[in-house]
Amino acid sequence: MMNKNNNRVKENKRIIVVLACLCTMLVVLIGYLSYFQVFKAQEVKNNAYNKRTWINEENVLRGSILDRNGNVLVYNKKTEDSNKRYYKYGRLYSHVIGYSYREYGKTGLELKYNNALLDISDSTALNDLKSLILPTSIGNDLKLTIDHNLQEKSRSLLEGKKGAIVAMNPKTGEVYSMVSMPDFDTSNLNDHWKGITESEDSPLLNRATQGLYAPGSVFKVITTVAALDTPALDNEYKCSGTAKIDGYTFKDYSSRGHGNITLEDALRLSCNTYYVDRVQYIGKDRLGSTADKFMINSKIDFDLPMKSSSFPYKKSLSKTELSASAIGQGEVLVTPLNMAMVASAIANDGQMVKPILVKEIVSKNNRILESYSTEVISDVTSSIKANQIKDMMLKVVESGTGTNAKIKNVKVAGKTGTAENPSGKSHSWFIGFAPYDDPKIAIAVILEEEGVTGGTGAAPIARDIFIHGLNNIDF
Amino acid sequence: MFSNKISSKTPRRFLFLFEILALLLLFIHQKDNFDKQTFINGFALIVIIYASNYILLKVSRGDNYIFLIATMLVSIGAIMIYRMDAKTGTRQLMWLFLSILIFYATYFMLKYIKIWDKLLYVYIGGAYLLFGLTFALGERKFGAINWINIKGVSLQPAEITKLLVIFIMAAYYSNYNKYKKTKYSSYLILGIMYSFIALLFLQRDLGMAVLMYGIYIGLQFIYEEDRKLIAYNIGLFIISGIIGYFAFNHVRVRVETWLNPWIYINDKGYQITQSLFAIAEGGFFGKGIGLGFPHFIPLAYNDFIFSAICEEMGIFTGMGIIMLFMILVYRGFKIGMSQWNMFFRILAIGISILFAIQSIIIIGGVIKLIPLTGITLPFVSYGGSSIVTSFMALGILQAASEDMDWQVNDDE
Repeated sequence: MMNKNNNRVKENKRIIVVLACLCTMLVVLIGYLSYFQVFKAQEVKNNAYNKRTWINEENVLRGSILDRNGNVLVYNKKTEDSNKRYYKYGRLYSHVIGYSYREYGKTGLELKYNNALLDISDSTALNDLKSLILPTSIGNDLKLTIDHNLQEKSRSLLEGKKGAIVAMNPKTGEVYSMVSMPDFDTSNLNDHWKGITESEDSPLLNRATQGLYAPGSVFKVITTVAALDTPALDNEYKCSGTAKIDGYTFKDYSSRGHGNITLEDALRLSCNTYYVDRVQYIGKDRLGSTADKFMINSKIDFDLPMKSSSFPYKKSLSKTELSASAIGQGEVLVTPLNMAMVASAIANDGQMVKPILVKEIVSKNNRILESYSTEVISDVTSSIKANQIKDMMLKVVESGTGTNAKIKNVKVAGKTGTAENPSGKSHSWFIGFAPYDDPKIAIAVILEEEGVTGGTGAAPIARDIFIHGLNNIDF
Repeated sequence: MFSNKISSKTPRRFLFLFEILALLLLFIHQKDNFDKQTFINGFALIVIIYASNYILLKVSRGDNYIFLIATMLVSIGAIMIYRMDAKTGTRQLMWLFLSILIFYATYFMLKYIKIWDKLLYVYIGGAYLLFGLTFALGERKFGAINWINIKGVSLQPAEITKLLVIFIMAAYYSNYNKYKKTKYSSYLILGIMYSFIALLFLQRDLGMAVLMYGIYIGLQFIYEEDRKLIAYNIGLFIISGIIGYFAFNHVRVRVETWLNPWIYINDKGYQITQSLFAIAEGGFFGKGIGLGFPHFIPLAYNDFIFSAICEEMGIFTGMGIIMLFMILVYRGFKIGMSQWNMFFRILAIGISILFAIQSIIIIGGVIKLIPLTGITLPFVSYGGSSIVTSFMALGILQAASEDMDWQVNDDE
């Protein structure tokens, strides 16, 4: 009898162990379900294969996308049995507007502003109730900051080349044109999809925001700001065409040497030896923190996916590496949009503004639902120093390496760059702004692996955009 | 005055209220093509469930709650199935009616026939017979050969086999002292169980294989005196799992689509990703009955009923279902522990383990916590054999919740 009771106790203990295991597993199910709903659900819902989003879409007339002057760029047309989206300028906006296809998903502004275009409000109990009673059938329109004419001009200037152009207002941050080449035709993806995805030139990549390039001499603008911030830096230097740093010889573009020069001449003539020598006095921390203020190394908040530019100064840099960085070589990598923002910050008295692509979201009955205004994201330098640099950049175009960007009647300021890279053919850069007295357009132009200097390749393109933009944009 | 004891009428009324509300939503959803049939079916559902709960209270002195929990689960499932497809929903209602009859039949048979613990060889023979039948007459459905079709009615013999496994274990361990005299008798049981699991592997019925193993190891852990056998059992299961992974492509597919279904979204990962879309869309409170798209999920009223419910009623209802199972399992264990008759004690615990493991396997599978193996969600999923055997198991549990006036000589 005693034995039997003992057995019952042992049995009951084991029963409780099994019950505890099973209950734990059931609780884990509840825990995972909550975890999934809180952390994973949004991403899962947005998957292009989720048919539910398309069910909603088929009933909604997706909103149109217009340029700053009201020109329709993309629109939907609904007939009895179809609801089709038309990309009027297929190639022109392949990277900015992107596409919305059932088969290939969504990209660009089509993705970012999907809810606005479909007039889907954030899911709250009240909104859900509203949409039950008043189902929406027409989405909202997007009004961009892009100027359609300048966009076309920019693309025609890049035609047949690889690279990117960003033109923006340095004071408001409005992007007037953004082009990346090669591009692809969004109006007819079905026929070309295979070719697009298999192309070695990666046409899907938006080079303006996601291309990381060695900046070459355009980076000297940043180094110059750091130089102005360095107390008691000897302004004068004798350039002999070469400079030896830690056993490595840096050369100038023309090896004859510039003779006795100042900082101003160094920027104007893009003298490498001046910067590789002086940066040893500036120091990597000062150069690095200046770069940080220009949003190198940080995530720039923008409507399109951005890669961050980088200057990894926090890890140990040798003297040679620091010198290379000062002239935009070595480990420095930047995006074209970031460089347009660098030019903007100088043009805007040292204040860097957030670039914007969408001006307004407009409802079907022409009510402005949301408008995006200017926002300063970084105090780069004082307005006095910014104006000093402005003057130097003016000289670059008037009598330095950037004379090809010169325009009659309008003063242009800028900086050229010729960036060496592993391909062997250098990138051709130009950043700048115009007019000098009251900057209205800031620009970054890069021709990828063009094999010519910034002054011959990129500067004339910038000039044409300045002329076209200043004449046509309604500021 | 508040009474400490909640009257058993209270939960029954809550269940009634839930059904009324859910059916009203269903009517609103179908307002455009409202037909009398829907109304009759809804009425029938309420009457069947209310009446059977009421009758049970009169006939059984045992547990009052397990049947309530089961009927709650059935109500959620039936309403969801009806919302997706009225014809299937009506059939489910007929199955429910039959199941409740079978529940009572099982209950009375267990209570008044007193030879159940002496039929070990019959159970073993019956299980092999059912396997033989499946292989002889089986047809492949959803990738598994586990259905036989008799006169237009599809049956899944393994559903009965899983109950037989519990009976085998109960008959064996309640007469342990007798069988122990034969050397290696526990090893023989091990061999028999693994032969079931191997046969289920061959039928590609992985969910059922895991379920039977779960019941087996759970009961063995409690009752086996030869403790090293349990370690062997676990080791053997891991080894056969590994062998299964490399030997069977259908096992590998399950693992691959569990690790990353998104890259196979168009073919083998389709089911699970559609399930995840549904759950994600549902959010916490669901889209509302009739406002989601649960029919996008393949097998939505079968194995994936949980995802369909989550889409339209939210994961709060999903969690509610899991908690209902938790209470059911807890009650089942409690019934087991307070039962003095050893045979019925093991039956009660075996059936509780069955409900727990089966719900864990399928819910864990459709939410991608564990690899997906197809099995129905007890009481909730559509399916004749599933709902009938679930109620059969419940009938056994109901019988086990009462004092048994006959004693098995378990302590000779």
